[in-house]
Amino acid sequence: MLRLAARTLRHRKGGFLATFLALAAGVAVLMTCALLVESGWRHQGDPQRYGAAVAVVADRDLTVDGPTVLGETERTTVLLPERGSVPEKVAGELADVPGVDRAVGDRRLVVTTTAASELPTTGHGWSSTALAPYRLLSGRPPRTDGEIAVDARLSDGTGLTPGATTEVVTGGVSRTYEVSGVVDADGTASGRAALFFTDAHAAALDPRPGRYDAVGVLTAPDADRDAVLASVRRIADAAGVTAYTGDDRGLAAEPESAAARSLALGAGAAFAGYAAAIAGFVVAGTTGLSVRHRRRDLALLRAVAATPGEVRSMLLAEAGLLAALAGAVGVPAGLLATHQVRDALVSRGFLPDDFAVRGGALSAAAAVVTVAVVALLSTWIAALRVTRIRPTEALGEAAVEPVTGGRVRLICGASCVAGALSLTVLTGATDGQTALGAAMGMLYLFVLGVALLAPWINQAAARLLGPVLRTVWGNSGYLAAANLRANARGMVAVLTALVLSVGLGGTVWFLQDNLERQTVVQSREGVLAQYALTSGAGLPASAAAEARRVPGVVAATGVRRTSVVVFDRLEPQTVPAQGIDPLGADRTLDLRIRSGSLDALREGTVAVSTARADAAGWRLGDKARLWLGDGTPVTLRVVALYERGWGFGDITLHRRTLDGHTVTGLDDRVLIRTAPHAGAEGALAELARRYPGGQVVDTARLTGELAEDVAVSGWLNKMLVTVLVGYAVLAAANTLVMAALARTRELSLLRLVGVTRVQVKRMIHAEQAGLLGVALLIGAAIAAVTLTTTVRAVTGAAVPHVPAVGWATLLGGTAALALLATVVPVSRVLRTAPVEGMGVRE
Amino acid sequence: MPLIPDGIAVALERVRRTYGGDQSVVALDDVSAVFPRGTATAVMGPSGSGKSTLLHCAAGLDRPDSGRVRIGPTDLSSLSEKKLTELRRARVGFVFQAFNLIGALDVEQNILLPSRLAGLRPDPAWVDEVVARVGLGERLRHRPAQLSGGQQQRVAIARALVTRPEVIFCDEPTGALDTRSAAAVLDLLRSAVDAYGQTVVMVTHDPVAASCADRVLILADGRIVRDMERSSAERIAEQLALPGHRRPVATREG
Repeated sequence: MLRLAARTLRHRKGGFLATFLALAAGVAVLMTCALLVESGWRHQGDPQRYGAAVAVVADRDLTVDGPTVLGETERTTVLLPERGSVPEKVAGELADVPGVDRAVGDRRLVVTTTAASELPTTGHGWSSTALAPYRLLSGRPPRTDGEIAVDARLSDGTGLTPGATTEVVTGGVSRTYEVSGVVDADGTASGRAALFFTDAHAAALDPRPGRYDAVGVLTAPDADRDAVLASVRRIADAAGVTAYTGDDRGLAAEPESAAARSLALGAGAAFAGYAAAIAGFVVAGTTGLSVRHRRRDLALLRAVAATPGEVRSMLLAEAGLLAALAGAVGVPAGLLATHQVRDALVSRGFLPDDFAVRGGALSAAAAVVTVAVVALLSTWIAALRVTRIRPTEALGEAAVEPVTGGRVRLICGASCVAGALSLTVLTGATDGQTALGAAMGMLYLFVLGVALLAPWINQAAARLLGPVLRTVWGNSGYLAAANLRANARGMVAVLTALVLSVGLGGTVWFLQDNLERQTVVQSREGVLAQYALTSGAGLPASAAAEARRVPGVVAATGVRRTSVVVFDRLEPQTVPAQGIDPLGADRTLDLRIRSGSLDALREGTVAVSTARADAAGWRLGDKARLWLGDGTPVTLRVVALYERGWGFGDITLHRRTLDGHTVTGLDDRVLIRTAPHAGAEGALAELARRYPGGQVVDTARLTGELAEDVAVSGWLNKMLVTVLVGYAVLAAANTLVMAALARTRELSLLRLVGVTRVQVKRMIHAEQAGLLGVALLIGAAIAAVTLTTTVRAVTGAAVPHVPAVGWATLLGGTAALALLATVVPVSRVLRTAPVEGMGVRE
Repeated sequence: MPLIPDGIAVALERVRRTYGGDQSVVALDDVSAVFPRGTATAVMGPSGSGKSTLLHCAAGLDRPDSGRVRIGPTDLSSLSEKKLTELRRARVGFVFQAFNLIGALDVEQNILLPSRLAGLRPDPAWVDEVVARVGLGERLRHRPAQLSGGQQQRVAIARALVTRPEVIFCDEPTGALDTRSAAAVLDLLRSAVDAYGQTVVMVTHDPVAASCADRVLILADGRIVRDMERSSAERIAEQLALPGHRRPVATREG
């Protein structure tokens, strides 16, 4: 049967093209997702900055115990957004371990050199050079507070040699330093450049006094490595931090790589889930249709030579061969696409640039196998239907198939829709990521329900649309309505694909837009100040006080953005937060306080957004337990609840709570409210010049900063939607083309009976309008329900914002593509003489 | 193939077949017929008389609602679809009016298809003889799309002959052919009966084709109304037109 299958494929290349395209596209998409996941899984940070240390002790993540369910407690680990730190005394304990030569505390300061302001650089104490190890290339180590040593990367681009001076900005202050020496280490050619202060100066500059960023352990050459590691781990556990060894040291050096890893894994997996679902719909529809179109051929085979089992084997062999061919094309395409995706993610800053696309064999196998399984399964199901009927029935000239499906299908379809509707209630009750997840589930259940109920929907629609079609298109409309009614089953694939496109596109795309809009609207409405002092290098705490002294300024509030870890009912989440000085804040910020007051904001208290309070179960006056960005647990009393969480972050703290717990220790901006017509612009500009990189901007130009994870998932979702909608529309177009070409005999017959070519074309247009109208209507309805529910759950807005242009593009684009997919092949079909067309096999 | 003393190739006993749900049509109304070995029988009748249905039931392509069908010693009613197919490809040949061949295969592959799937290897000498008989020796590598209608029918006949079946069923074999091709096809079928002792059952509406047969059955409204010995084309045409075999439209409607 395999040879027969191969010959059939070669002979009917055109017919199989649609299926092949669907399979190849499916393989490419799945391959991209899988490879993204595989690359993330294999991604390791670069340990070379700690190359000489046998272990690095650092605090990079937070492990939280979840609720105990059925006797099992789930522990979740969250990456610390502000790079946790290690107390200095741990370094002392580590140094005492027998076999340890030195325990070097590494300080890490965010610095910018004016000589190379584009190069991301970190500042360390000189003792950190032992950890890579850096060796001295020229000059000598720094000896005074005014000297620094730079690494080869800095000196190469800028010509900084021993004796040169440069300005270095750190802690919001610019100071001049003299370069005392140049150092270099193997394997530090990528990532951040480094410069080294004296240990004492670095300690003075560190915004986190009494703590190190990490401690590297160097052993004596004759030490017992395992014993040393055991002791190190013991000390680390006792201090509540982690000891990283081997390749994991990279995670200690650059925890962003762990973040990159989970991003790639998460995004790839989510993508893959959706892609697999859509690929399943598309492949199943296309293969089913192709089998049905070959009814007569298969019936002949059955009549003359082949048992039902043998026909099924042949069909399965065809599907298998097609899948293999599709794999050969789809895998390289997917590989290419993955590189493009990776480049796009890196250029947007979602992934570090040392993230590489790795592996491939595993992903390729997974993608091809998945698509093959779906193709084989759907072929088998379609084949069952075809081979079960007796040969004579299929050979009959009037081969009529039942117009609707069986009862099982009806029940399944109805349950899906019912399930989706109940999820509407569930989504309304939750918020945040859970709500988004429930929304996607709702969407897919709706679409699945529609796919199952499609024959009945098509029929009902045809009946309802009949009068409309007749009125608009006259006799052609009458024929069109009859066709739609009779062909209800054949158009299931098209209906499903179109509904999916519109439903998915509508929901996901506009959801993202809504979230972004909420953020922008809230932050714009909530900022009462007219000006903001900002700086790329950050502003010291004194900047706000300085701003208040400017004549004409009524109030000035320094704002420090950070993230904290909150435990909502199910699992810990990293949420955006801000630290402010509440003095005069009521004149610069309007958070839309619902209860309590910001005046009570002090070092032991916190203000929370209503959405977050609901999720975590906090009320006014409760003690809220949360973790600051560097992992420090704090218990704060809730003194205010406010509504504008999207624009300003879910948690508002007093800035002193954050002192020593953020990486930079600096404010991000100072909001300045001036008296009307105060004419303070000149003085404010003068103020800005005092701070390196400072500038005063109009707050109307500032938009709220979207939380990082929402931004990332937003971009990914949009890309996902584009790809998947494209795929679904491809499938719809495929099906329409196949269906149009298969109607040659029918259209020829119509023309012989007396319908003119123009009337036939109008009939096709009417059919398309009917079909598209129904599909777009249902898709839009599904999108509307899903979107409204989700937006209400996540942002609290009652009505989602939908830009008219967006809707027009979505609906118009889908309609245009589908029309093209029918009108073009039908025109071609109509060009053959009807008498010839009558004799043509399907 | 040696004759079984039984002497009957195909037998139908009180076969009944109705179509359709609400407005059921009785295609075969308690039909009994016997087709002896080594004979050619023509089945004729106006459209809707049930002749194609008779053929399909006799060949195992369709299941009667009641009654029994036997091919040789085998009772078809007890067989599953799978067994029926296996029976068909080894022991029954079928030639349709049109769409006889698998487009993806060439002439030789089409001829050998049933044998191939049955796992049989027909005697190469026999295959050569059959191919020579149908006159397609030079076209073995051609695809059906490259053949004329008559040539396609001849390939179908070759496919039917090659397995040396107990019976060959033909449904309007000359219906789509010009007079010369039709004559060639009928000649071929006749010689299969005479030279190889093949049994042939042919549905046709053409009196000329029926005149080649040893026996002519005429059906009307699902029943056999006339069973004639070999006759001339004129006589057969006369019999077909007799009142009683086909009532005028006006009366039927009334």
